Amino acid sequence: MNIYLLLQQLLNGLSIGSVYAIFALGYTLVYSILGIINLAHGAIFTLGAYFTYALMGGNFGFNGLLANASLPIKLPFAISLILGSTLAGLVGVVMERIAFKPLRRQGSDPLLTVVSSLGVAVVIVNLIQYLVGAESYTYPANTYGNLAPAINFGSSENPIPIRSVQVVIFTVSAVIVVILTYFINRTKYGKAMQAIAEDPTTASLLGINSDRFIILTFFISSFLAGLAGTLVASSVSIAGPYFGIAFGLRGLAVIVLGGLGSIPGAVLGGLVIGLVEAFVPAEYSGYKDAVAYGILFIMLLVRPQGLLGRRFIQKV
Amino acid sequence: MNNAIAQTTALLSTCALLLTACGGGGSTVTSSPSSTTNNTATDTATTTGTVSGAIPIGIAVAQTSNVALLGQEQVAGAKLAEKYFNSKGGVNGTPIKLVFQDTSGDEAGAINAFQTLINKDKVIGIVGPTLSQQAFSADPVGERAKVPIIGPSNTAKNIPEIGDYIARVSAPVSVVAPNSVKAALKQNPQLKKVAVFYAQNDAFSKSETEIFQQTVKEQGLELVTVQKFQTSDTDFQSQATNAINLKPDLVIISGLAADGGNLVRQLRELGYKGLIVGGNGLNTSNILPVCKALCDGVLIAQAYSPEHPGEINTAFRKAYTDEYKKEPPQFSAQAFAAVQVYVEALQALDKKSKLNKLQLPELRTQLNKQILVGTYNTPLGEIGFTPIGEVVQKDFYVAQIKMSKDGSQGKFTFIK
Repeated sequence: MNIYLLLQQLLNGLSIGSVYAIFALGYTLVYSILGIINLAHGAIFTLGAYFTYALMGGNFGFNGLLANASLPIKLPFAISLILGSTLAGLVGVVMERIAFKPLRRQGSDPLLTVVSSLGVAVVIVNLIQYLVGAESYTYPANTYGNLAPAINFGSSENPIPIRSVQVVIFTVSAVIVVILTYFINRTKYGKAMQAIAEDPTTASLLGINSDRFIILTFFISSFLAGLAGTLVASSVSIAGPYFGIAFGLRGLAVIVLGGLGSIPGAVLGGLVIGLVEAFVPAEYSGYKDAVAYGILFIMLLVRPQGLLGRRFIQKV
Repeated sequence: MNNAIAQTTALLSTCALLLTACGGGGSTVTSSPSSTTNNTATDTATTTGTVSGAIPIGIAVAQTSNVALLGQEQVAGAKLAEKYFNSKGGVNGTPIKLVFQDTSGDEAGAINAFQTLINKDKVIGIVGPTLSQQAFSADPVGERAKVPIIGPSNTAKNIPEIGDYIARVSAPVSVVAPNSVKAALKQNPQLKKVAVFYAQNDAFSKSETEIFQQTVKEQGLELVTVQKFQTSDTDFQSQATNAINLKPDLVIISGLAADGGNLVRQLRELGYKGLIVGGNGLNTSNILPVCKALCDGVLIAQAYSPEHPGEINTAFRKAYTDEYKKEPPQFSAQAFAAVQVYVEALQALDKKSKLNKLQLPELRTQLNKQILVGTYNTPLGEIGFTPIGEVVQKDFYVAQIKMSKDGSQGKFTFIK
């Protein structure tokens, strides 16, 4: 592998790693507040991508119930991205009300909540297939305006072409991470969320309405999933209703690697996994998962609390 | 109130779990242990009796998973065939009835679907599965149960060789694939350097790339690189860059729709300007939404052309375009042809010995013999079979993808 390919892979790794990061942040937020892993996160990721596609005026194929349907509006990508992710966030809130809250009220075992989230995932995936079929969908060619399809980071003799979409993804993800970090650490709402993560009972004694913040957490978490889904889909198309499943599993590896419940951990974990995958030679691409989970395995043996987790896990 | 919510949740979760069973596991109902049989001893117990009422033909294709793209096209073709032939009187007055079982995208799903169709639905024969990869595992189930199997889209080599009861209407890749390379040479007689890409985790793509690589050598072209990927991959930048650096004039891709489409897109985005030939896995309009405007110009060899003359293709094409508002793809035409082979073989058999007098095992065996001796005038053109069940087809085509400027519309245009 020459130096140019190496640089290209580095940039690729950062790009995909940054998406892993914002996706994993969603997992981590819910985990910090409720102590559960939301397995429907991957399905919400898929859903966000479909929402954005629909908002951009995309047409649905002939296999689902909504054959050839499309919305009468055609919004620009940036607005669709935000609206689509917001819709995904709202679905997250509904999911919390229907599938998680009743179990929490009864003080059920967290495992039941995990099973319930798996159920939500299956319902969402099958509902998507039922409604819009299993076809691939791609955002319109002018998604990123008149941006050239690739940007050359090298010279004309030794080109290091990077697809522009990768650069956009990296930038958007970085901005989101900064905003979220600011929100959690500097705002009243963020601090209230930290308080609930630390100890829900004490927090509610201090007058924090924990139910409201759980809703907020699910909204942000699902918003992030929808956003990640849209970004990935803008790069490689929506490959069908099962699109988010692999991402869901990868996200788990990321948060465990980074340290469960740690926000910087989710970001670091995402970047590490993204970079490691990028450096798996193309002809062994089938082993990307094996490498990612191999690292996870070693990590669990050597440092079970993850890269940035503490033994006493610091939540949020 | 709380109780009500709890009940709803419980119900939802149960539904969800049930859905998992269908979604992930393949067929909706796996046969009970007593009817899941691989050996002949118990087969007789479950397969006696004659066929009364509509004649059941099994359709075992991928309706879920990432292969559903192809499977859904096959379902569309088969359903049109059922409607068409039943409106023409079915099998000498008796209608046919298609029984669908989802194979999902893997081998286990295909085996489950085959066993259910054979033992529970008691079909007279099966059309399926979608992938060659699945056929290598599921076809032996049909062979052991002595049930005719017609592959609608299995094009890897050695499929009919699996057994006496295995045939296919999909011409093997060795016959179809070279046509597209020749068409590329016609468009650019100067072309010299060829880069080949293939999905290494797919039996069909592997078998197809061997043919492509051999064709490249036979045509005196220089094979500059062979790049591998997985059908589940989405990022092809490093393979694409590796290949582009060697300055190929032609890129040949063997993969499936989603990965193939993404590869085409990324090759173009990274600056590749030469010709692209796609294999049979890319031979579906489902790649159009993936690479959009960048699909333009991709050459794909075809075993079917919507413009094929002949009465039955005209009827099929019209029925398809009326229903789905687009030209019928090869996968639908082949599924239609597979059902047609059953219907016409049953008609011929019925004239020799009444179908409702035959015991099911006898009917299946007789039908298998009849299938292999007949010739059929299908939307694919006239087809027949060799004694081992390999399809004999006369006409092949090469199509080139033409996209509108904004990439929203596209079609396969057939070139001479």
